[in-house]
Amino acid sequence: MGKYLFRRFLLMIPTFLGITFMVFCITRIVPGGPVEKILAEAQMMNQGRASGSGGAPLSEDQINELKAYYGLDKPMIEAYFIWLGKVLKLDLGVSSRYSDPVWDTIKDRLPISAYFGIMTLLITHLVCIPLGIVKAIKHNSTLDNITSIGVFVGYAVPAYVVGILLLVWFGSGLEWFPMGGFTGDDFEDLDFWGKTKDLMNHTALPLATYLAGDFAVKTFLMKNTLMDNLSADYIRTALAKGLSFPKAVWKHAMRNSLIPMATHFGQSLGLFLMGSFLVEQIYNIDGMGLLGYESIVERDYPVVMGVLVISSLLFLVGNILGDILVALVDPRVRFQ
Amino acid sequence: MTLIKDPLLLKKLEKFKSIKRGYYSLVLLTVLISLSVVAELLVNNRAVVVRYNGAIYFPTYGDIIPGKKFGFDYDYEANYRELKERFKNEDGNWLVMPPIPFNPYENDYIEGSYPPYPPDSRHILGTDASGRDILARLFYGFRIAIFFSLLLLFFSYIIGITIGCLMGYLGGRFDLLFQRVIEIWSNIPTLYLIIIVSSIVAPTFGVLLSIMVFFYWVTMTWYMRTATYKEKAREYVLSARALGAGHRRVIFSHIIPNTISVIVTFVPFTVVAGITTLTALDYLGFGLPPPTPSWGALLREGTANLGQQWIVMSAVSAMILILVMVTFIGEAVREAFDPKKFSFYE
Repeated sequence: MGKYLFRRFLLMIPTFLGITFMVFCITRIVPGGPVEKILAEAQMMNQGRASGSGGAPLSEDQINELKAYYGLDKPMIEAYFIWLGKVLKLDLGVSSRYSDPVWDTIKDRLPISAYFGIMTLLITHLVCIPLGIVKAIKHNSTLDNITSIGVFVGYAVPAYVVGILLLVWFGSGLEWFPMGGFTGDDFEDLDFWGKTKDLMNHTALPLATYLAGDFAVKTFLMKNTLMDNLSADYIRTALAKGLSFPKAVWKHAMRNSLIPMATHFGQSLGLFLMGSFLVEQIYNIDGMGLLGYESIVERDYPVVMGVLVISSLLFLVGNILGDILVALVDPRVRFQ
Repeated sequence: MTLIKDPLLLKKLEKFKSIKRGYYSLVLLTVLISLSVVAELLVNNRAVVVRYNGAIYFPTYGDIIPGKKFGFDYDYEANYRELKERFKNEDGNWLVMPPIPFNPYENDYIEGSYPPYPPDSRHILGTDASGRDILARLFYGFRIAIFFSLLLLFFSYIIGITIGCLMGYLGGRFDLLFQRVIEIWSNIPTLYLIIIVSSIVAPTFGVLLSIMVFFYWVTMTWYMRTATYKEKAREYVLSARALGAGHRRVIFSHIIPNTISVIVTFVPFTVVAGITTLTALDYLGFGLPPPTPSWGALLREGTANLGQQWIVMSAVSAMILILVMVTFIGEAVREAFDPKKFSFYE
């Protein structure tokens, strides 16, 4: 198993390099980087002060200094390896917008997205697995058909539309929940119960939004795989030998049906820890998703790359984790 | 006398027809798409037919007809809604307006009040903050979104099927190389890159489509690769080869027809992805530039004006309606093309 894991981790390296190199190149090739942004701002200020004086707002030397400051003075490949070297020393650089270390910003934002991710994963697995089982066993019953409608809508409609709808109904219309933010303004002054209540109140809508999308996919997955397995020959054999139906489901079909769920768990882990920037934008939550989005809009490339490093690592590790989980539930898979 | 002779395919079509919600969704969606092609005749501020002083005009397509032609005292385009009111008192002159007599770009101001106007008999779904008819914008937005998705589907499937088929058929180094490429591609945050690119290049329909195709071909490639791998190992491919069929013939007349069920099954879901992504981009302001009618722009405007709920609700309802229909079709197609029948013993 150790050898297998080692090989999987080795395979992560080329993928990681590929992803970061491609995005790094795009941030370099695309015009409108930090230096150009400063130049444009300087130009505007110049025009405001003395119109008609003309000439470049910054001297050649100043521009070169700026380029060196942002590491833009070196050729692309060299600059990439310098950046990579820093990342290996766990230095993600400094935000070109706020001059804060990128890692500090990410450290502030990661727990917020992780809160939603972990809560969503917990709730969906606690609800979807039982619901999927019931829907599979009672296929085409009233319960199955009624829940199917809800699951279908959740499946078809993207999370951000659900988010907007919930915000319109419960945030603005009924005013049950606050319109956005992660916690209230007076969060620090509250006692433990007050804090919990405030957090719940603020996170109920976004959490429901995250759930709506994931819920549908997982329930369908559970239902369909269990139905696949229930119609398989080995279940018929087990029943023919006199095993009771509940026992056949629990002991035989269930274990096999959990395999796709395990794969899915690994994949969704990275996705959820990063948060969805659309959902975070709708509810104005300062999580990883919004950080990545804002940094792109503002051309804060060190932050863009930092977020990318974290997200691709989480994604790759999530995939491996999924494989390990699959191996745990599926005895046919062996680590080789 | 049917076009399709293949009994297996006929059986699948029968099965699809028997799944009512999927079948009716397909019928309804086809009708909607066909109607959207001639949207100018249905939702427009130009009349469909005008009869004025013995002559007949069709103003919908073509150049604008100046107001002077119809006896107004101005040179810009005739206001057909006013013309209709006037014609009520004139014998022999008449005109037919489209069912929704508003253009999606037209600002309709009602004297004495400011937009957005709530739904009433004039604007069935109300207007947005600049007085544009929401129903008109929804309808034209639907046309753009659905054709965007269909074109996205077409191009990304051509690339995906070609590369995926080659990966599965050739195997070896070609397969290994593209496996890595796909792994990298699918790990790159697509929406981020589209935002970067579309904030530099003015995002026209063509540019946006190319960027999306650039990232979307991956999904289909992966499924095609697996499907081709499976088919390639089957005996019929071996016997075709033994009979002397060339690679081209094996791929085009044996393997691809047998993977068609894989391809068809994913079509509706790609349409959903196309609509969803385009709307998300428009919502964030990185999609088609304003004043292009789009659902995303309506969503953004609606969330900015939550006091006027008809704006956001119209866009949300339209999205839910269309996406649920497409998903119904998708599920029905999947069920029709799935040879397995779920049955178990209790």
